[in-house]
Amino acid sequence: MSGDSDAGAGAGAGLSVGGFALRVVLVAAGLAALGYGVDGLLTMPRATRPSNATAWLIGGIVVHDALLVPGTMLVGFALSRLVRAPYRAVVQGALIVSGAVALMSLPLWRGYGGSVDNPSVNPLPYGRNLAIVLGAVWAGAALLMISRAVRVRRTGRRGDSADG
Amino acid sequence: MARMLSGRLPDPPTAVRRGPLRAGAFPSTLHDQRVASLLGIALGITFGTCFLTGLVSHFMQHPPTWLSWPSRPVWLYRVTQGLHVTTGLASVPLLLVKLWTVYPRLWEWPPVRSVAHALERLTIVPLIAGSIFQLATGIANIAQWYRFHFFFTVTHYWVAWITIGALVVHIAAKLTTVRANVGRKRHERIPGTAVSAAPERTAGGREGDSRREGAGGGGQVLEDLEDQGNLGNGRDGAPPAGGLTRRGLAVATGTAAAVIVVTTAGQAVPALAPLDLLAPRRPDLGPQGLPVNRTARTARAARVAVAARDPGYRLEAVGTRRVGYDLAQLHALPSHTVRLPITCVEGWSADATWHGPRLRDLLDAALIPVDATVRVESLEAHGGYRASEVRPAHARDPLTLLATGLNDADLELYHGYPARLIAPDRPGVLQTKWVHRVVLL
Repeated sequence: MSGDSDAGAGAGAGLSVGGFALRVVLVAAGLAALGYGVDGLLTMPRATRPSNATAWLIGGIVVHDALLVPGTMLVGFALSRLVRAPYRAVVQGALIVSGAVALMSLPLWRGYGGSVDNPSVNPLPYGRNLAIVLGAVWAGAALLMISRAVRVRRTGRRGDSADG
Repeated sequence: MARMLSGRLPDPPTAVRRGPLRAGAFPSTLHDQRVASLLGIALGITFGTCFLTGLVSHFMQHPPTWLSWPSRPVWLYRVTQGLHVTTGLASVPLLLVKLWTVYPRLWEWPPVRSVAHALERLTIVPLIAGSIFQLATGIANIAQWYRFHFFFTVTHYWVAWITIGALVVHIAAKLTTVRANVGRKRHERIPGTAVSAAPERTAGGREGDSRREGAGGGGQVLEDLEDQGNLGNGRDGAPPAGGLTRRGLAVATGTAAAVIVVTTAGQAVPALAPLDLLAPRRPDLGPQGLPVNRTARTARAARVAVAARDPGYRLEAVGTRRVGYDLAQLHALPSHTVRLPITCVEGWSADATWHGPRLRDLLDAALIPVDATVRVESLEAHGGYRASEVRPAHARDPLTLLATGLNDADLELYHGYPARLIAPDRPGVLQTKWVHRVVLL
């Protein structure tokens, strides 16, 4: 990627001839891989159940774009009205960590999945464990907020979130 | 050709520009090209890692004839598959935050600027669908939560190709954007024409957004460029200051990924086992102190259980000569002790001590040639994993046993009584259990 100047060869904004060629190669390779995947998905229908797989593929986008992001934005809006400046960033950060951890372990603490005759699958008390992990996250957040409060008190009105 | 692709298409009527389509609909200063670029690089690394380690796992289970996997290092598959699952889990916050930062692009105006722009937006669909699908189905699979009707491994494999292909196209489309937003010399690489979605600038860069160490240009120029980097269709009605800065968002996202790694990697990394709080397995929890994936019941096997406990059980090796051993004879064979991990495709792995005759001694007894591939067959009557192929590298490895004992006790039915294959650097699904026959192929 290095070495190409901004010769701006007609095709791509600010890309040199080398950069343009790289783009063409990447697009061709990417489309080939994409096509290979689609072809594989469709030629093994007994295993891949294309209509069911497609429903899950599209369903993921819909759930994300129509529920998850708007929901996150509502929470963000509420926070911007409810939590004061030096502390809001910490609360936002702790919520990001909490949400990600809870989501990636969702089947476990919800008790989904597992195996009736195999006690070694999902063997831990996940509700308790999630509480421990999130407790540690929010304890860290509380410490950060205390240190910010101290800094605000010391320096008057300046500790406004410069370091996140 | 290039002109046709990049020629400007007419805008739709402004009357339909409502709701999230209107200018300033997404006021957060974190909808930002630099954040998106940095997260994009991180995701490129994690998805690339997942793809490559996934290929390793796929081709270990389905090796083409020309490909012969080594049996050493013993821990190779343990590392690649542990990386696969841990990296995938750590990608959850990276992907979600990245998608959040670029979300205004979903509602960009005009929706389509040119044919090239339309094609680029089109390839975003398989990219996002595939990314979410891979993470969601992977998380469901390691918890053995099957709400979908497709077969996980095959579908996960093909969607991986779709996702990585769309990702490579996306990288090609965003090269200039990333180069203008990442790296010490990024300000020198900003193309003459704006690559961002026709930003409508408003006065006043916000705090935390306009701070940049100067890299040659004047301050005002930098602030202009910063504004071009904003993805939020302008800044009308910006939120009150004091929320996360870009750096704060990066720290939070990185912390989320780190917490996920630390609380799940213990299912594969012995040193982290005490912190294994949120992984689907614990290396020391299971029958005989070892987790199990396939039980006799999943092997549809009241039948397997009966056959395995049948006093008439015989282990056969069939080569040029046919040899057979009943249980007493099997236990009387020269026994060896090896320390090998059992490594599941679901990412967990656990060390164990195995005892039993070496596979190669049995092959020699049956006059099976040194360079031959054999098939190890289970008592299971059906199913994709009832038998596995063992190529010479593994078949002849002195560490490869037909184990009859585990951790100083007889093998339990869970672990494949009366005998199971255990070989170094091999996926757990191919460590065939309830073995009753080894045949020359």
